[in-house]
Amino acid sequence: MEISNWIFLVILGIALITFFWTCRQKFRLLALGKPEDRSGSIGKRIWSVVIYPLLQRCAVNPFYKFGLNHALLFWCFMVLLLANGEFLIAGVIPAATYANLPAGLYFVLACAFDIVSILALLAVILAVCRRLFFPPKYIQARSQDAFIILSMIAALMLAFFFTHSAEIALGEVTAAKYMFVSNWMANTFWTNTADATLETVATVAWWVHAIVLLSFLNYLPYSKHMHILTSIPNVYLRNLTGSTAPKREEFKKGNTFGAGQVNDLTWKNLLDAFSCTECGRCTDNCPATKTGKPLNPRLVIHDIKVNLLKNGPGLVNGKPSVLPLIGAKKEGSIEEDVIWDCTTCGACVAVCPVFIEQFPRIIDMRRHLVETKAEFPEELLSFFENMEQRSNPWGITPGDRAKWATGLDVKTFEPGKTEYLLYVGCFGSYDARAKQVTVAIAKVLDAAGVSWGILGKDEKCCGDSLRRLGNEYVFEQMAKENIKMFQSKGVTKIITECPHCFTALKDDYAQFGVKLEVIHHTEFINNLIKQGKLKLHQTDLGKLLFHDSCYLGRYNDIYEAPRQTVKAATGSAPAEFERNQERGFCCGAGGGRMWLEESRGTRINIARTEEALAQSPKTICVSCPYCMTMFEDGLKDKNADKDVQVLDIAEVVAKALK
Amino acid sequence: MAEEKKKTKKPLGHARLIVGKCIACGGRCEAECPKGAVTLNEKGEPVIDFDKCIGCRRCLKVCPASALEMYFTPEEQKILDELAKTAPQTTAPAPEEDDGQAASIKAQLAQYKGVWVFVEQTEGKAEEVSWELLGKGAELAKALNVELCTFVLGDNVEDLCKESFIYGAVKSYLVDDPLLKHYRTEPYYKAICQLINKYKPEVVLMGATPLGRDLAGAVATDLATGLTADCTGLTIDENRLLLQTRPAFGGNIMATIRTEENRPQMASVRPHVMPMPKRQEGATGEIIREKIALNENDFMVKILEIIDDRKGDGGIDIAGAEVLVAGGRGMLSKDNFKILQDLADELGGTIAASRACVEAGWVGVEKQVGQTGKTVRPKIYFACGISGAIQHTVGMQDSELIIAINRDPAAPIFEVATYGIVGDLFKVVPAITARIKELRAQRREKK
Repeated sequence: MEISNWIFLVILGIALITFFWTCRQKFRLLALGKPEDRSGSIGKRIWSVVIYPLLQRCAVNPFYKFGLNHALLFWCFMVLLLANGEFLIAGVIPAATYANLPAGLYFVLACAFDIVSILALLAVILAVCRRLFFPPKYIQARSQDAFIILSMIAALMLAFFFTHSAEIALGEVTAAKYMFVSNWMANTFWTNTADATLETVATVAWWVHAIVLLSFLNYLPYSKHMHILTSIPNVYLRNLTGSTAPKREEFKKGNTFGAGQVNDLTWKNLLDAFSCTECGRCTDNCPATKTGKPLNPRLVIHDIKVNLLKNGPGLVNGKPSVLPLIGAKKEGSIEEDVIWDCTTCGACVAVCPVFIEQFPRIIDMRRHLVETKAEFPEELLSFFENMEQRSNPWGITPGDRAKWATGLDVKTFEPGKTEYLLYVGCFGSYDARAKQVTVAIAKVLDAAGVSWGILGKDEKCCGDSLRRLGNEYVFEQMAKENIKMFQSKGVTKIITECPHCFTALKDDYAQFGVKLEVIHHTEFINNLIKQGKLKLHQTDLGKLLFHDSCYLGRYNDIYEAPRQTVKAATGSAPAEFERNQERGFCCGAGGGRMWLEESRGTRINIARTEEALAQSPKTICVSCPYCMTMFEDGLKDKNADKDVQVLDIAEVVAKALK
Repeated sequence: MAEEKKKTKKPLGHARLIVGKCIACGGRCEAECPKGAVTLNEKGEPVIDFDKCIGCRRCLKVCPASALEMYFTPEEQKILDELAKTAPQTTAPAPEEDDGQAASIKAQLAQYKGVWVFVEQTEGKAEEVSWELLGKGAELAKALNVELCTFVLGDNVEDLCKESFIYGAVKSYLVDDPLLKHYRTEPYYKAICQLINKYKPEVVLMGATPLGRDLAGAVATDLATGLTADCTGLTIDENRLLLQTRPAFGGNIMATIRTEENRPQMASVRPHVMPMPKRQEGATGEIIREKIALNENDFMVKILEIIDDRKGDGGIDIAGAEVLVAGGRGMLSKDNFKILQDLADELGGTIAASRACVEAGWVGVEKQVGQTGKTVRPKIYFACGISGAIQHTVGMQDSELIIAINRDPAAPIFEVATYGIVGDLFKVVPAITARIKELRAQRREKK
């Protein structure tokens, strides 16, 4: 070892110690979070890591074509890990170089390193051009952080080529002819250069590479590039329950409820904040952001991270927070208004490449606002009161729940005799338009000879809106009451009219220890068709555009069933929105927003209605009473309600019944 | 106790349902039975367990349909007949549990006399509901043969005591103190409880306004007595008990509540439910000025600032209006609201609107009725060009009289309307306005 090796050893030592110390400072903050169990399903977790980060399924998305660039850069990086590992070790122990490996292996490696370096350089140049000349709106394109990272990577690649081309020109590289780019560079630029100059070039380039590499390493934890360290663990620890249902709370004296401070979140939530790559895809798919509301899921996660970094060191030493999690507009604080903007459509969670769970944090914060501070929009006052007192959003007498069935031969659910409970839901029971859908469902079920019954005035609200709005206490009471009633009546199989009731009864109620077989009417009717229990003649409803309900689609992966049903009932597959299926755009009413007003930006339901009208449909087909209301109102506002009709999938089928 | 050679206990019999007479009221008999001898079958009819029944007859008394009778077995009947022959039959009183305790409760309750009405005031101006309650209070006082009084709290509000006499009170208790100038729960309820504990009224009535709701509950809790809020009916029964009637279970049943063992019996009534009594100009009464020690330091709530948000446009709050003429999408434009304003002017009412009109900028948001707007309960609600989607009806369905005008016969508004007119509102509304003008003119001519 020479002097330079010793010097490098010291530098390397300092760099590594600093790096590990910085990482420790940051990651020990995760311990501030509440416990969460993400163990188990090791096989699925490993598979997720293989598919998503390693095979870059995370970045590659048909709607974000530039993700291919990231995939390329990532794989180059993986290969270069080998190169850089050797680089650092050889900086201390010169003999530890691949050049000392068997020739064949060395040549393969050298060639690979050369190719990936040029590819990486090209990828970086493309990335810089994109940010400078055609920046997407959903990211902070010209951020200092981004350009620092990209410059560092470019510097590393250039340093690589300068080093190796100089060494090739000096005749020191046996693999020269396999290192195409470096070789080309040597033969183009260094042909007439003096050896001494080449030595200097090689040495300087080597040191540039070393310094930039170690600086890059130490810069990582301060930038969005921390995702290099956290994204793979974050994917490994992803939510595998298949449901985004919030966890139950323990209503005991002395407990805090929801997230009012950053250390009310769990360690996994905090890891999410560290894993954000700031790709902005959640921003691009959020219906609130897209309609000009201040809510931006990426910024919510970012604010959680900044808040943790600001408060963390103090909290670790038992000091109180200095920066509120929920407060006036500031980096690291989330405004109250922002928290109410969310429709819980799940687009953010669905599109995130590293499985961050954005909107569940909003529900956590809503819980704090509702349950601890009793601070929520005024419109929710009567809503909460009505729910508690009458078990429906409008405070209408429960005795009227079966009014939709007057004149029809609708049976009450009889324990032991009726097979399916048709859980009508509040809209289907009380709302004038939704009642027509209930009648249609009844008609279809009768046509198929299904054994079904209703609870009538005993039916209570499922409580979905309450849970999404953060009023967990009342939700829990409602859920327990409902479960008790189902059990006492021997209800095991439930068909729901509404996707929100569907999700609540299937997933949320499961947390209370009950196992119910719940199916939404779209799937049930589709099954009836497939089983040949419905005789349909194909009705012509004109151009029929199908809108995916968030709580059927993204929440429960139900995309095919309604489309097949439309095909069976009308003869052709439905027309599609551009933003459809997993990318479907919310109608705007979920997450309790049905009961709230939109005061900023443009209306989400108008945006979606305009999207629909652009395709000039004759019929818009929905499968949810919220979507139904949002579209009908949207059409009225656009003066298109005479030209376009909105039908529930059950109504489409009812029309097609022979 | 019959004087007999041997002590023959007079058989009390057991209660029994008279088949076919039960109206399935929900089980007042079941609730009343001190021994839990009554259960209800699926038809809601009482089933009496003879082993548990002690023959106290309370269920018979409470049955609204007189569907219960006392049944005596043939042996019991024989004993009754024998007793009837031997001793003059005095009507045996129903055996009460713990006779001693019941008597002492009765004695305590008898100390409470008088019907009191709270005169709510804001900035020295009385709320109308206070006078409405005096009208009802007069009836109750007459039935009980006791005094009708008011109690007034505020700063420099003696005039309201005098006003009470004009509306029928004979006494008015006044607590005049600068600390009571603006309403705060603590000083108000503490003063009132002191008043009530000193003067012991048997009935206390308050208006179910936001202030009244806050205050009544605090007073009732402190006095550990019963309070029935939002009563629609108040009468006195044969036992001198106040019968407080109000709708329950979403309006499905009318519940009548009695405060049997506590005083005062407290009830609140919404504004515009009871009719205004006639003014008796020149009537006077006794003002009793009560000095109550109030220390500002004791009160945790301080009033820092009072913000008046009554706006310039007459500042009429639609939630307080008696007549509302509301328009919906069917109005088609801002200018068209003029025909609604004309009708409102004619009737002394205010215009209101559904959300769609507010969104379209035709009316201000303070006029919005509905789920995300205001809930109103006017005497008359005109719904013009409003479809009646649930999000709107939830804000006005408790109006006393709903008149809907809509072109669409299938509009859901007709499900909640008292009267529905299927027609063109641009013709119908002006026609109504014109007719009312005519009727007014005719009435003036008659005078």
